[in-house]
Amino acid sequence: MAGSNEVNLNESKRVVPLNTWILISNFKLAYNLLRRPDGTFNRHLAEFLDRKVLANRTPVDGVFSFDVIVDRLLCRIYRPPSVDEAHPGMVELERPLSTTEVVPVIIFFHGGSFAHSSANSAIYDTLCRRLVGNCKAVVVSVNYRRAPENRYPCAYDDGWAALQWVNSRPWLQSGTDSKVHVYLAGDSSGGNIAHHVAVRAVESGMEILGNILLNPMFGGQERTASETRLDGKYFVTIQDRDWYWRAFLPEGEDRNHRACNPFGPNSICLEGLNFPKSLVVVAGLDLVQDWQLAYVEGLKKAGQDVKLIYLEQATIGFYLLPNNDHFYSVMGEINDFVNSNC
Amino acid sequence: MGPYKSGISAGSSSSSSSSCAGKQSEIDGLLSGAGYKVRSSDLRQVAHRLERLETVMVNAPAEISQLASEAVHYNPSDLASWVDSMLSELNQPVPMSSDLSDLPYIDGFVAPALHQTVLSEGWTEQNTHEQQQLTVVTAVEEDSAIRLVHLLMTCAESVQRGELGLAGSLIEEMRGLLTSVNTECGIGKVAGYFIDALSRRLFSPLAVCAGSSLESDILYHHFYEACPYLKFAHFTANQAILEAFDGHDCVHVVDFSLMHGLQWPALIQALALRPGGPPLLRLTGIGPPSPDGRDSLREIGLRLAELARSVNVRFAFRGVAASRLDDVKPWMLQVGPREAVAVNSIMQLHRLLGSDSSRVSPIDSVLGWIRSLNPKIVTVVEQEANHNQPEFLDRFTEALYYYSTMFDSLEACSLQLEKSVAEMYMQREICNVVCCEGSARVERHEPLAKWRARLNGAGFRPLHLGSNAFKQASILLTLFSAAGYCVEENEGCLTLGWHSRPLIAASAWQAVSDTSAPFGRIKDNLL
Repeated sequence: MAGSNEVNLNESKRVVPLNTWILISNFKLAYNLLRRPDGTFNRHLAEFLDRKVLANRTPVDGVFSFDVIVDRLLCRIYRPPSVDEAHPGMVELERPLSTTEVVPVIIFFHGGSFAHSSANSAIYDTLCRRLVGNCKAVVVSVNYRRAPENRYPCAYDDGWAALQWVNSRPWLQSGTDSKVHVYLAGDSSGGNIAHHVAVRAVESGMEILGNILLNPMFGGQERTASETRLDGKYFVTIQDRDWYWRAFLPEGEDRNHRACNPFGPNSICLEGLNFPKSLVVVAGLDLVQDWQLAYVEGLKKAGQDVKLIYLEQATIGFYLLPNNDHFYSVMGEINDFVNSNC
Repeated sequence: MGPYKSGISAGSSSSSSSSCAGKQSEIDGLLSGAGYKVRSSDLRQVAHRLERLETVMVNAPAEISQLASEAVHYNPSDLASWVDSMLSELNQPVPMSSDLSDLPYIDGFVAPALHQTVLSEGWTEQNTHEQQQLTVVTAVEEDSAIRLVHLLMTCAESVQRGELGLAGSLIEEMRGLLTSVNTECGIGKVAGYFIDALSRRLFSPLAVCAGSSLESDILYHHFYEACPYLKFAHFTANQAILEAFDGHDCVHVVDFSLMHGLQWPALIQALALRPGGPPLLRLTGIGPPSPDGRDSLREIGLRLAELARSVNVRFAFRGVAASRLDDVKPWMLQVGPREAVAVNSIMQLHRLLGSDSSRVSPIDSVLGWIRSLNPKIVTVVEQEANHNQPEFLDRFTEALYYYSTMFDSLEACSLQLEKSVAEMYMQREICNVVCCEGSARVERHEPLAKWRARLNGAGFRPLHLGSNAFKQASILLTLFSAAGYCVEENEGCLTLGWHSRPLIAASAWQAVSDTSAPFGRIKDNLL
């Protein structure tokens, strides 16, 4: 056992920069402490350990943020400041967006395998700020309820509530067509949430312009080749994935539940629906990639527009620190995705 | 270069604001953005220790659960120390008693027997407690409310520029606008107080903001009941003091503002239940002289003595009457040579920040004599706000957002009378921040970062508050306060806030001696 662990550690070290390795390894070890074998979660310790940051109405690097409460749901809004000529020193939080240009509004669902992190976690606050600068967008980060205390469908319900709120803000409208140009985005469990909120939106006739899924969290009952091949090698184990699904899915359900496996045996047919175009980023060293690739195939088979970005040498969390090529190339793709004319 | 992939060098060791990569003592900018302070020169060592920790954890899964449930964690931002402490926990399986059912600590308002399993069943991530729709001040729908905020800022700006005529007419306009917003809650309510304060500043600046000390007492008591800020301050400080007093037979608490002594029954009870028996407890309570000839300090002391007697704690009380903390001289406290001393300051230090250039600055003089007492612990709780900036507009803006959040949190209180009077308590603070200047302005709140710098500079080192204190605070809030209050850990200190905004910060300190480490945990103290 000790021998194979050494091999595992050496492999992950070779593919990420030192500070990234430290960051993700720290999460991995801390999270091991938080997951209890009986399926409960040490929430107090999790909140104690999580590094959080305040919203900041003072623009920093061209982005300011503020929090809103949407019926007990906390959302953090990030936007570039627009100068108010009458009050140059003042930042207007709900200043209407451009009436001539389209300003994308990206609703972001943070990752954490449905159990960890918050909208005000430092890593996600930083990521959202980068998205604003990168895409000239407004970002709304949703502090959805987490498992195991709040199982399916709580996170999806919260995503839906946030979407409805965003859609009904006059100050988030932009462009000559005066509507809110909504994109859904998320990493890990957040990517999963983005998909399911999009399904609900489409079923309700609400328009979503695009979905951005970064290393989305999907799974299924069978064990895929990538899971077996990469188990424990790059920060993630099958065992921990299983734990998070047990924590999120309704008790007694297996991983072929549609939340986990949207194109599996319990799938809804998306064919013919006005599902948004999708940008799906898959890391080649992520052990659930076979499920993510199956998701992409599923969308294609349903006749939906999907672009896959497969990053061979990327691990989970590559987008958390801007110290690797994958980060920059993905940011470029996201920018093109939300700012293209089609 | 080592086994690690080399990152893009522009990104890996610089932050957006630092200019030069590669200095050995520099903190890694990217990890700092993620909330972790690690020196660039320590990265390899930290990585190595993480590897060791993982190997140990993989080989000893049973000990992981001990690490998770029993060990006390401190200051996660200091990643190197955290990893080291995890490693030392696993090498030395000395059981640490932080299981709640073992804690002798009983807070005055808590029912006994907080058994851990009961709590983990009852804990829900979002309390379904009834509460009104709440929004942060600027996310309000009404145009009038947004306009009101604009006008307030513009008025404050004109006050700062000395354009008093303009300011006056803006006040008129705002009063008019108040009729079309809801003044029962949210921005309308708090705006009303700020408009009054601005008006007072313009038209009756010499009017005194504070009322009689009897009034102050009443306001304080209702504020204590209506919201958890003071309770949090008391039980967090008490927990730290209790731990600092561990192993000492003679202990002496110096309370910088006794008020009604609400903090102390819980500590007395906890000391009574201490394994090994209670120490001799001396309490010195500082407070303003009573105007009407009563000795209110002594009255409170007598009540506390009565309580102590009922639980068999040997207790002695001394009252020190002083209108200002910097009038107190250390000899008045009569600290004995073998006593373990705790100095407790709940929202008092900021009052010393007004500078009178003719004397030694009051804060420096007080911090100096605190240090001379060589206390085992100094507990400091302060408002987490920046209300002492030199520019009036900056202070005003900060205060508007801070008190809006405070008022929002008060909305959740179901005790109507306490809530109304608590609002008056806050209104007094608002008035002081907005109307007063010079020595009259005592509400000079500064944020934790500034207090850290000040205390570090004055020869104190932090004693970190850990995950046990965090957990207790969280649990007590869940049980006794509305949903929305939130405890956070901030580099060894704890804050209590409303949703994502910290409003009050608690920290603990010890005087530095030449041979001590740069920080400590309270239990590390040796006589």
